[in-house]
Amino acid sequence: MAGVSATVPVRRVTASGSVRSRRAADAIATIVLWAMASSIIVMLAAFVIYMVYLGWSALTPAFIFGMPQETTAGGGVGPEIYNSFYILILTLIFTVPIAVAAGVYLQEYEHAGRFRTIVQFSAESLATIPSVVMGLFGLLVFVYLFKWHFTALGGALTLTLLNLPALMRVTQEALASVPDTLREASMGLGGTKWQTITRVVLPSAIGRLTTGIVLIAGRIFGETAALIFTAGLSVPFNNPYSLNPFRPAETLAVHLWYTHSESIVPDVARIGNGSALVLLIMVLLFNVSARIVGRQLTKRFTGRAE
Amino acid sequence: MIEMTSSTTATTDKLVASDVDVYYGTFKAIKDASLAMKARQVTALIGPSGCGKSTFLRALDRMHDLTPGARVTGTILLDGEDIYGSDADPVVIRHRIGMVFQRPNPFPKTIFENVVYGPRIHGERNRHVLTETAERALRAAALWDEVKDRLSRSALDLSGGQQQRLCIARAIALNPEVLLMDEPASALDPIATSKIEDLIVELKTQYTVVIVTHSMQQAARISDDTAFFHLGEIVEVGPTSQIFTHPKEKRTEDYITGRFG
Repeated sequence: MAGVSATVPVRRVTASGSVRSRRAADAIATIVLWAMASSIIVMLAAFVIYMVYLGWSALTPAFIFGMPQETTAGGGVGPEIYNSFYILILTLIFTVPIAVAAGVYLQEYEHAGRFRTIVQFSAESLATIPSVVMGLFGLLVFVYLFKWHFTALGGALTLTLLNLPALMRVTQEALASVPDTLREASMGLGGTKWQTITRVVLPSAIGRLTTGIVLIAGRIFGETAALIFTAGLSVPFNNPYSLNPFRPAETLAVHLWYTHSESIVPDVARIGNGSALVLLIMVLLFNVSARIVGRQLTKRFTGRAE
Repeated sequence: MIEMTSSTTATTDKLVASDVDVYYGTFKAIKDASLAMKARQVTALIGPSGCGKSTFLRALDRMHDLTPGARVTGTILLDGEDIYGSDADPVVIRHRIGMVFQRPNPFPKTIFENVVYGPRIHGERNRHVLTETAERALRAAALWDEVKDRLSRSALDLSGGQQQRLCIARAIALNPEVLLMDEPASALDPIATSKIEDLIVELKTQYTVVIVTHSMQQAARISDDTAFFHLGEIVEVGPTSQIFTHPKEKRTEDYITGRFG
């Protein structure tokens, strides 16, 4: 090697023509990609600022905790906020066990095969059904066929159908992120499959799983079309904070739609802007807490942040 | 039940593989492998990459049960009982035969929880017993002094070499009779490697060790017997000193002298 170096011509370390143009392309690409990524931040910020500007004055205790009005000004959204959480919790009670169990089965037990294909295909098909169609299905089944009329339970079951596939996918992805070497380690120590899943796989996946669940909770919270036909457009005035699932339960998101399209109250704009802002704040809170809770759980169960 | 021949029972063979074939689907990865592994000795499995030594090792712990499409035929006797027998339970077998993998794979749990994982899943609940087990295993794995003050810290904060010794501690916390090691030092630096090697020599006073290694120096340093694998077959088995100085087979000699592999 040393003997050859003497014959090599002198080479410089500074850039010449073709290198310079490649460098320029590199710089332009960096700037364009950065700008596109930044535009997402700008769009979100502009949206949030505008919503806050419109809705801020409406956010009074009387609005947040008060009863809605049918014909006069000054209505609040207290029962609607309550209903949103009520239906959300009902939905999660149905969705989480089914989706997590199905996801665990597909990911940990049925690596391949016809059954897995059928379940996956069903979930994907379910996921492509528009929420308004799912709402009509809920109307036909829960409202008419079961004769429940508009109920919180009918709404929650419709939302369950709507969100099962996404949550199953979230579960599968959370489990897939757990390295196989950990499963091998547990099985190699004489663990059964179930012990491996409950003691190693799920604790390792719990952070991602929770993040996914909370993000989906945010979606459920803001769902409208599927609830208009199933949970209805009203709240029971004699007992608006009822725990009875067999009663109409208009949610905040549905109320927002209702106010703007059907309502005859004079302060439509105020109620609409206020509702939208409350909804926005709630959904953003879900997103932020999803990350915090996920990280905390990962730390708690694995002794270390991700 | 297959009876052992008198020649194998006369010595203290712990684990005896006879005519073992391993298939991945239709591909035959191991062909007619027979090997007796002596109690409280280190048996090294050497050979070029892809020769099947790891595949063979995993068959000794029924780890192929976990791989869809993998199939093992032949018999592997642990103290005379076939671990592939119809009434053999992999959970019991893996309790008696421990495995240390190529890459350190500690659980994302605390150091303490890693070591006591095995005893816990086999039903040990007594905190006092678990604490003693953890100390004994960590001492045996030459890790105690380095971690005794931070047992409740995450195992993932340890260095690679420490993680691998933790995995060894985790395996020996179950008091296995056999310890299988799949290139346990291949992901480690030379200092960590020499610690692991010292540890293996230490461990053979209590355990039967079978180790896969791509390093012939390592095999020469720590093993009593060596089996040379090539293309899914065991080409030659014998005392390590003999294999390395007077191999009987041409292929063994070629490999050992560096002519291929």
